[in-house]
Amino acid sequence: MSKIGLVIGREYSSRVRKKSFIIMTILGPLLFAGIIAAAIWVSVADNSEHEVLVVDYAGMLSYVNPESGRIEPSYPEIFKGDENLFFHFTDKLPSDSAFINSPYTLMLEFDDSILAAKKAHLYYKDLPSAQVSMRITGALENGIERVKVRENDQIDYSTYKRLKTSLSLAKFDINNKEDASMDQEKGIVGMMLAVIIFFFIFLYGSQVMRGVIEEKSNRIVEVIVSSIKPFQLMMGKIIGIGLVGLTQFLIWILFSILIFTAAGMIFESGGFDSVAAVDGLRSGGQTPIDFETFLQQQDGFSLLVSINWPLILFMFFIYFIGGYLLYGSLFASIGAAVDSETDTQQFLMPVMLPLFFSYFVAIMSVSNPEGFAAKLFSFIPLSSPIIMMIRTPLNSTSVWELLISVAILFATAVFFVWLAGRIYRTGILMYGKKPSYREIWKWIKFNS
Amino acid sequence: MNALEANHITKTYANHIALDDVSITVPEGAVFGLLGPNGAGKTSLIRIINQITGPDSGEIKLFGEKLQAKHISTIGYLPEERGLYKKMKVGEQALYLAQLKGMSKREAKAKLDEWFERFEISAWWNKKVEELSKGMAQKIQFVTTVLHEPKLLILDEPFSGFDPINVELIRSELMRLRDQGASIILSTHNMGSVEEICDHIALINKSKKVLEGGVSEIREAHARQEYEIRYKGTAIAFANALWTNFELLSQGQEKESQSAVVRLGDKMKLNDLLRAVVDHVELLDVNRKLPSMNDIFIQTVTQNEVGHE
Repeated sequence: MSKIGLVIGREYSSRVRKKSFIIMTILGPLLFAGIIAAAIWVSVADNSEHEVLVVDYAGMLSYVNPESGRIEPSYPEIFKGDENLFFHFTDKLPSDSAFINSPYTLMLEFDDSILAAKKAHLYYKDLPSAQVSMRITGALENGIERVKVRENDQIDYSTYKRLKTSLSLAKFDINNKEDASMDQEKGIVGMMLAVIIFFFIFLYGSQVMRGVIEEKSNRIVEVIVSSIKPFQLMMGKIIGIGLVGLTQFLIWILFSILIFTAAGMIFESGGFDSVAAVDGLRSGGQTPIDFETFLQQQDGFSLLVSINWPLILFMFFIYFIGGYLLYGSLFASIGAAVDSETDTQQFLMPVMLPLFFSYFVAIMSVSNPEGFAAKLFSFIPLSSPIIMMIRTPLNSTSVWELLISVAILFATAVFFVWLAGRIYRTGILMYGKKPSYREIWKWIKFNS
Repeated sequence: MNALEANHITKTYANHIALDDVSITVPEGAVFGLLGPNGAGKTSLIRIINQITGPDSGEIKLFGEKLQAKHISTIGYLPEERGLYKKMKVGEQALYLAQLKGMSKREAKAKLDEWFERFEISAWWNKKVEELSKGMAQKIQFVTTVLHEPKLLILDEPFSGFDPINVELIRSELMRLRDQGASIILSTHNMGSVEEICDHIALINKSKKVLEGGVSEIREAHARQEYEIRYKGTAIAFANALWTNFELLSQGQEKESQSAVVRLGDKMKLNDLLRAVVDHVELLDVNRKLPSMNDIFIQTVTQNEVGHE
């Protein structure tokens, strides 16, 4: 085994066997599940009444009742509403002022292009809660599915799965149509990912720092650097600890997949079968559904199903690796410069500030992911890992933006690792006085 | 062949010169004392030999070859600042350090079993280092330093902080290793141990080498005309017998006899001294008095300092 491999192995195995790692790995997902539940509960708890005007130009989901002469929904069981959500159908778009002065609070607008574009417009006077917009989306999706079924004679389960429609609502403030509103639900996911990447970078980065200080204060470092190069020791430590972080995250994902699959199997074993599902859809009656569809119909869960998880998790890995290398090497330099953890304060500040600052920019980017600040800080490597966690779920980044941001991040990370290597090799053998920034600058310039 | 040759080593740190044109030669099989006050540059030189840092100029040869990466496993190094991972188990840690020196895991395990038995510490294998006493940890440190059978052992202040029992143990182990062919460099400012175990020394002061050679040659070269005389008779008679060309440095009284240390003046010989006292007291024995390494150390360092000012 190569020597750097030995160091990685020691750093890794000594950490994954720690009780704190095992506890965190088990409790972590529960904690986050709690946070998600709380966030969803806050965003969906909504008792306000909504009168929704459905503008159905093409008469896809409505018809003119010959007896009353009024436009009524073709599938009243879907649009029957409840005590605080009512649907009213029309085939003409009212003027903005007419809508503003009407008793309607929301206006849903679509035509037959919805089959291809999978997108409808929702105008509002006050932004509806996530719960309300999800119920509207759900009803519309159900309706569109019925339309598709009507046009297909032969339906088996695979067709049924294909017909299942996932729509998105473009929301507009009727008083300010230019300003497309935020995608609340996905914003929540972004916030969560930003919190996780923030904590991962911070927790594992400071573990690097503590590890370096431990070796220095144990006085073992000189023994080790007589066997391997200081840079190998530093890199071995950074990589080993980073792998611990990735392991933890992977275990969390595996847990989630397991729980989701198990829950699905339990759910579907209780009465769901695909034949009944197809029949139900055709007859227009009560439709038994599979687990994924069930979740989509549940308040709050639809966002979890509708998100492009593979892409987002991939981006998370990339940005975690880049951000961790960058901040981890800064933390390693701090560890090398001081003798004990109590001395770290002065140096921690300049590292923590950009991290916290990015977090605040990230919070603000949720409501304005295309804004100047959000775009600017997506390219600055100290903040891009956190900001991009917000912007990726919102689909507000182009491929080019992502590529450039990742390239800048990794180039900077490599530079910081190099810089840290120079501080490290001198710092680890220095005991006594805490160095000044000027001295550290000398260490960087100094050729060993 | 020499175990180590350092030629004209110069090393400058950001703020000061650590080594100024220092050359030393360590013969193979020697126990070489690298002496000097704190901050003289000993550790800097040792770090260069261990390839922890590089010299600004000059070159190091190890057993005739230019110093290079493969020599890491030729050297065993016990630094002055030495320690172990506190949370790691003794055996695991010893294996890790041995593998870093390039041993295979199996080879390291076999050797460790051997050493642990010798030192009667096999029972500690699964203990964490933090459960060990300081003396116990020191034994582990020593074992991990010599485990890979280095041809050159470098020990920086090996006896500071060790308890007397461990000092004795390590001293005898060092002698055993030397007899098996290892060359040893001891860096120390503890002169007592130098006289006992070193056969060569180099003295470094203020970044410069000020003295180098075999221990007995150096003591011989620094010997002044001083003799210790044991006699029967009265101390007053002895003192009166000396003329101004002799300096009576000290006198002592033993059960049956007296003793005195006398320094001869310029151009005086031992014969002159004997002639002067032989009629006044009964001489028992006369010994040439060699200076202790400690005296030479202090003398050289102070001279050096006077010379600088």
